[in-house]
Amino acid sequence: MKIYSVPEKRWNSFLQSLLETYRTYAPFLKYETVDYEELIPDKIDSIYYASVKPTTPLKIFHFPVKENVVKATQKEQRIIIGTPACDLAALDLMDSIFLDDEFLDIYYKENRENTIIFGKDCYGHDESCHCTSYGLTPYPQKNCDVIMSYDENNFYLQPISGKGEKILSEFGLDKEETLEELPYDVSKKRETVKSDLDKHNQKLPDSEATRKLVEREDKEELWKKHAKTCVSCGACSTICPTCHCFLLIDRVGFEKIKNWDTCQHPDFERVAAGEDPLQKLYTRLRNRYLCKYSYKPDMFGEIACTGCGRCIEACIGEINKNELIMEALE
Amino acid sequence: MSEKNIYKPQKFKLDKVVTESPLIKTFFMTPKHDFEFEAGQFVEVTIDGIGEAPYTPSSSAWVKDKMEITIMKAGYVTDKMHQLQGGEILGVRGPFGSKYPLDIFEGKEVLILGGGVGIAPLRCLILTMLEQPERYKKLHICFGARTPQDFIYKEWYKKLAAHERVNLLRSADKADESWTETEGVVTLLLDKLEVDFSTMIAVVCGPPIMMRFGTYRLLELGVKEENIYLSMEKNMSCGLGKCGHCAMGDYFVCKDGPVFTYDEIKDYPNIWI
Repeated sequence: MKIYSVPEKRWNSFLQSLLETYRTYAPFLKYETVDYEELIPDKIDSIYYASVKPTTPLKIFHFPVKENVVKATQKEQRIIIGTPACDLAALDLMDSIFLDDEFLDIYYKENRENTIIFGKDCYGHDESCHCTSYGLTPYPQKNCDVIMSYDENNFYLQPISGKGEKILSEFGLDKEETLEELPYDVSKKRETVKSDLDKHNQKLPDSEATRKLVEREDKEELWKKHAKTCVSCGACSTICPTCHCFLLIDRVGFEKIKNWDTCQHPDFERVAAGEDPLQKLYTRLRNRYLCKYSYKPDMFGEIACTGCGRCIEACIGEINKNELIMEALE
Repeated sequence: MSEKNIYKPQKFKLDKVVTESPLIKTFFMTPKHDFEFEAGQFVEVTIDGIGEAPYTPSSSAWVKDKMEITIMKAGYVTDKMHQLQGGEILGVRGPFGSKYPLDIFEGKEVLILGGGVGIAPLRCLILTMLEQPERYKKLHICFGARTPQDFIYKEWYKKLAAHERVNLLRSADKADESWTETEGVVTLLLDKLEVDFSTMIAVVCGPPIMMRFGTYRLLELGVKEENIYLSMEKNMSCGLGKCGHCAMGDYFVCKDGPVFTYDEIKDYPNIWI
């Protein structure tokens, strides 16, 4: 393991020079929420490193809300600072879907290739966070280019990809002090957050147990009860790092717009003759859970929930996925 | 971007449009470059700036320089398709999905059960099979429509019935005085077949209710679950196993289907709707 220990001042000057070449995004605190914003020199000092997760999932950079997938576009080189481990974990599934051998999505591929990701430890957790329930850690271990931690003195940068190595050497950060492992306090903090999360979610079943619960056919009343406040807005899917559904919308010139869509919308599966397997509201609600915990593991070998908890935070009907699942246990 | 763009349609010229019935038309097209597909696969056809929808070709898979698609007016895009006159340029993506495994059909009696516009994709299968008729023991073709006037491809059946490898039976739900064939639902035709159901292959395509009762009747008659081939209709947008619209349990029907055997999907929810 090779970790560069970079003093804060040096880190900030690195960001300063980065902005000359790359469009860079970092988390900022705004009206009590954290989200990615484009970094400009004046804002380097106010990057919110203490963030847990940005409101917007990472997928928006690789799979934009609307993207013209016929007309070739000039893609920019981008750097994303501060992506949490839950969003990085989601890349496994997104890559399986969009980068499959048979039907490669060249737009997604280019977006992935043009983006350098600095993953970051979580220094706390939100009420809805539950990554550790599904075997993930609140600090990055994969799917980014550089893993980033910090304490009051330094930033600790561990490159884990060729792109990560390159960007650090390009700006001379590989000349900084090299550590074999993270300082004790930084490692300790990681473990503290992890055990806090374990404790916080100790009643929440793991992914395999959750699968069995959502597959049970005798829980119709539970789904109906929780679907009562669902307005089919699709916010749960919109902010989900693994929800990948879309609709191709036609534009003149045989152009097509790949536009986010969700199984929570009425008519998502309706065929022209009128049949609709997901006609009922509660079947749509349940379908999202079945997709995440049952169908996707069968298709891709892993669940489609990374425990980020955004669907709970975003739901205007206050449907709480974790409460629903724990209620199913009763 | 040198890699192939899976979202970009190829250009096809619409040569002519033939009306089959009040709601059904056949579209004759010529691709800019030869277009290869297998019986059972489908294509996504774009009307420029309007929309795209999935259809299975109704012409033989052996023909690469022409393609025919028979389309029922059922929604927004098919309504616009029906307004086309011929001469327009259409976009085509594909072919997508699974094919009928003709190597498995070889040497066997094959029953082809179709209803309404479901006869269209089966025409592709039949024409493809009849290019090499000696490969199959016999084709039992059972077609149904609501009325005699609702049968598409009116000129085709005489030729089909005359083929030495073909046993063609037709039924109309509601006959008129000119109709000399069976009256009633298409599954009635199955009782007229003198075949060994336990070894035969059955291919079913039609409206959901017909597929459901057709499949149940075939099972009663002794056709094996793994020998019943169903072509599933689902909402499809991308055709690539990405957009999620056609998800059926852990299948994307566009990629893992649309052709499934009954035993592959019998335990899935909502297969008949």
